[in-house]
Amino acid sequence: MRSKYLVAVLLFAFAVLVFLAAGALPFGTARVPQAGFFPKVLALLLMLLAFLSFIQPRGDREANQGSNPIPAPNWFRLAIILAALAGFALVLEWLGFFISSFLLMGFLLRAVEAQSWLRMILISFATAVISYVIFARFLGVALPTGILGI
Amino acid sequence: VELVTNVAVGFAVALTPINLLFCFLGALVGTLVGVLPGLGPVGAVAFLLSLTFKMEPASAIIMLAGIYYGAMYGGSTTSILVNIPGETASVVTCLDGYRMARQGRAGAALGMAAFASFIAGTIGVIGLMFLAPLLGRAALSFGPPEFFSLTLAGLTLLAYLSHGPMIKALIMALLGLLVGTVGMDPISGQERFTYGTLTLRDGFGLVPVAMGLFGVAEVLDNLARSGSQSVYAAPIKNLLPNRRDWQESGRPIARGSVLGFCLGILPGPGPVIASFVSYAMEKRLSKYPEKFGTGIIEGVAGPEAANNAATAGSFIPLLSLGIPTSAIMALFMGALMIHGIQPGPLFIARYPELFWGFIASMYVGNAMLLVLNLPLIGIWVRVLQTPYAILCPLILLFCLIGVYSLNANVVEIWIMLAFGVFGFVMRRGGYEGAPFILAMVLGPIMETSLRQSLLISRGSFQLFFTRPICAALIVVTVIFLVWPMLRTKQSEKLSGSP
Repeated sequence: MRSKYLVAVLLFAFAVLVFLAAGALPFGTARVPQAGFFPKVLALLLMLLAFLSFIQPRGDREANQGSNPIPAPNWFRLAIILAALAGFALVLEWLGFFISSFLLMGFLLRAVEAQSWLRMILISFATAVISYVIFARFLGVALPTGILGI
Repeated sequence: VELVTNVAVGFAVALTPINLLFCFLGALVGTLVGVLPGLGPVGAVAFLLSLTFKMEPASAIIMLAGIYYGAMYGGSTTSILVNIPGETASVVTCLDGYRMARQGRAGAALGMAAFASFIAGTIGVIGLMFLAPLLGRAALSFGPPEFFSLTLAGLTLLAYLSHGPMIKALIMALLGLLVGTVGMDPISGQERFTYGTLTLRDGFGLVPVAMGLFGVAEVLDNLARSGSQSVYAAPIKNLLPNRRDWQESGRPIARGSVLGFCLGILPGPGPVIASFVSYAMEKRLSKYPEKFGTGIIEGVAGPEAANNAATAGSFIPLLSLGIPTSAIMALFMGALMIHGIQPGPLFIARYPELFWGFIASMYVGNAMLLVLNLPLIGIWVRVLQTPYAILCPLILLFCLIGVYSLNANVVEIWIMLAFGVFGFVMRRGGYEGAPFILAMVLGPIMETSLRQSLLISRGSFQLFFTRPICAALIVVTVIFLVWPMLRTKQSEKLSGSP
């Protein structure tokens, strides 16, 4: 229940931020609306909806959800997976496609559900090779080569 | 005669070896996506969109359409065998399909699902063939005020039909519209919210955002949920329904086809709604409604027909008006625009080969799916048993490569990841991604048509009420905005009274 208010407050704050950021853009008039017209109107509408969702009582459908709450996720595992994806974006152009894909696959296979080392290495290697062949050879995508040259 | 000539032109395009191959690939990948949990048709189309850049426009759209209706076919397999729908339009198939499987009639349920999908898909394509050109011709008289009202009504209707409270869907639509304003102003060319980032000059790319919202977010959401699934292990035989099955299913298929096609045209998740409405309708019309949910074939045939007919219907507003009505149609619009093709009232007149080729490919694709679904059912069951612990890293890696391959730009990977996290958090809070992506695509059309309308009317909003089509659409918008509020008030009153 508390999260509902938090989301509403965050949305309101975001709308205010957008409205302020759009301040630099000319609004124009109703006769000749300019570049700032649409974003400012949208930001105002978002403020209104955020306010309404803050004061709105829970509907039937939400109340039903409350009796069957969504189980809390394993935040640590999700954070690790996201960190791995961000790491891939950081090292892709430096390490090249092949090594980055191999490392990411290996890491994710262990992070999602612990696989044996042999299985992990085999699947990661096969995935990196197959995806390289599909994307670089068949589809002609210019994948970053990095330090290994592939 | 003109229709026959057009259909002949269409088949000449669809039956070229390369288009046949892409149609087959689309149907195959679609079935795979429908069978596998973890990546829905929207995510799959978003992912494969990046691969269609170098293709001919006809091949690209033929393949993407194959994925869409293929997923509808494939989704029923998991519903029947595992009681887990491969995608949302197959949720209702679980009710009777899974029960049939438990009673040893998995073969009949799978077979009827495939035949019903084939028949309804074909009926839907015929409807599309007749209705899209008519609507396209009518829309030629549309001006900016009509297009603004149409997009406004479309978004409101989508929000109304979305799962969960309407206010959440409206908030997502507003956020999508705001994201759609990033980049160059469509009229003056002035940069907005780009903060010097080159990648953002053309706005947020549809593919990174869609893959974040529907690919990465879906995988994260699946990982967040624990639990395992058990696949129905008994051998699947007697895939061809018997005479009694056909007698019981004939009418539900016919009704489901017509209903699904009509509901598919409306904005929103057409196939999902069509399958639920068809199930409710069959139950109401049945002589033995109490048997629904216990494993009867009508409960599979009707909804499966409805969701496939709806996929064909949902192409009508996009191809004839240029207005997508769902997240997946927004991606199709993106696919066409990447090739410099603007869907809309002039689409059929300007690109007859593309339109009729696409229609003909849907006939061919539906026949291919029948071949893919029935004899290969054993393979799909095996695919279904692939552990998610292996699937999830694969999906994530392909999302990353897919986005990078668009423009060889790492910034787009960051955009995808950011929208992945955003999509995941919003899903947990009960906010859907469909209104967001649709609003993001419709945003520039909506803004341009609104500003042009105000220029025409010299700042007067009366214009929207003096033109009949506009006024009708505005009335529809107001009704769908006010109706949920009135209903809430009424239910509050009822619950407050002793």
